[in-house]
Amino acid sequence: METESVEKTVNSKGTAGSQELTDNSLLSFEKFHEKSHFWGRLTIWTAILLTLMVPMYLSFVLDLHPGWTAIISGFAAYASIIAFVWVIEPISYYPVLGVSGTYLAFLTGNIGNMCLPCASVAQNVVGAQPGTKKGEITATLAMATASLVNIFIIMFVIFGGSYLLNYLPESLTDAFRFVLPAIFGGAIAQFAIQRPLWGAVGIAFGLFVNLGPVPRALQTFLCILGTVIVCMALDRIKKQNK
Amino acid sequence: MESVMQLANSTVLWIFALLVAGVVIFQAITFIRLAAKTSPSVGLSHAEVRAVVRTGAISSLGPSLAIVFVVLSLMTLIGDPLTLMRIGIIGSAAIETVGASLGSEAAGADLGSSQFNEQAFTNAVWVMCLGGMGWLLFTALFTKSLGKAQQKSAAKSKNVNALKGISTAALIGAFSYLGGSEMVKGVSESIVLIAAFIIMPVILWTANRPGMKWLREWSLGLVVVIGVFVGYFIS
Repeated sequence: METESVEKTVNSKGTAGSQELTDNSLLSFEKFHEKSHFWGRLTIWTAILLTLMVPMYLSFVLDLHPGWTAIISGFAAYASIIAFVWVIEPISYYPVLGVSGTYLAFLTGNIGNMCLPCASVAQNVVGAQPGTKKGEITATLAMATASLVNIFIIMFVIFGGSYLLNYLPESLTDAFRFVLPAIFGGAIAQFAIQRPLWGAVGIAFGLFVNLGPVPRALQTFLCILGTVIVCMALDRIKKQNK
Repeated sequence: MESVMQLANSTVLWIFALLVAGVVIFQAITFIRLAAKTSPSVGLSHAEVRAVVRTGAISSLGPSLAIVFVVLSLMTLIGDPLTLMRIGIIGSAAIETVGASLGSEAAGADLGSSQFNEQAFTNAVWVMCLGGMGWLLFTALFTKSLGKAQQKSAAKSKNVNALKGISTAALIGAFSYLGGSEMVKGVSESIVLIAAFIIMPVILWTANRPGMKWLREWSLGLVVVIGVFVGYFIS
């Protein structure tokens, strides 16, 4: 109720006058989703068009076309490894990312190693739970910031920062491979403190899909689905006992 | 090979790459603005919004720096602008390298070999760009349907609690899977992961003490620094 009335007052000011006031008005969560769909789709379609224009430019403007047979056979080899992941990843991560997070994370990439850890640490900072409205807004803010930091660091390196990196001793640059295990260990612990049993279930599934005879493309999906099903079942048993 | 690299670093490709990077930057800024405007209606204060943005920035430094080294290896293979374009959007360096080598092999040349000519380069670009589009197309086409399905189930208040639980469990599952895939890489990786697993609660416990709340924002950043140090000394 309160937010609605705030919105109304701001809106009435907005209609009364300048564009800027409407621009600064507050958004309801539903309106936020609407706008996320619009801007999310617009940016992703733009990225699709741009990435298509590059090979077309090479093929047809510069006349370097390798022939459709070569393109299709290369693409088929790639798709046979990855195609399943195109569908499975957005669906598996959706409950965590939400609408705006999905548009963000799947454009910028680095979902597991950057977006998700940043989002869940930020949720921890403000005490927002994943899957709630507050959680989604928090995750969006954190991931969008992460996306900015990431693209600026990549641009810095490509525009010449690589010379700087050559001066670092190899033993130190080699140690950067430990960034990922550190992030995942920390992130699992953050949840395991709150829900130790769920943490144990997750770790069990994580080890099982990685060590067991599970096809690579199915691993993420099976691990997330398995953890969700077992945790929900545990919750139900707990409630029944009460 | 030399003329390929001239082509790979040509001005037109730079323009495309910068446009793609521009889309990523534009999207991030747009979403920050939208989310900041929505924050009061979900109970986030202005100070909290700033804390969240700070946390995102601090926590993303570690992962971004780890990506840098893969960026370097890719630059020598496919040139600077294409590296920016491919790593800037969806697709990890590993996947892009696979795409580039499958593409050039389909055109009859190994990636980076002396036979790697302009046509092979073009084919590699085709495969990388078409391949990376899979995620983008799915996201552009189906996120709205996923959102509607979620909205429908969230309409019943009983389901809201279930959604919270499912999201948390899904996160635990995702991190456990990713953690497991690091642990199978080697003993050092496993030790670092376990060390991080122990350090994180200590940091969060310390952050609960009066006056230490800021430490929470640094938690992941600190864990990464300590983890890299541990890895440095044991390997």
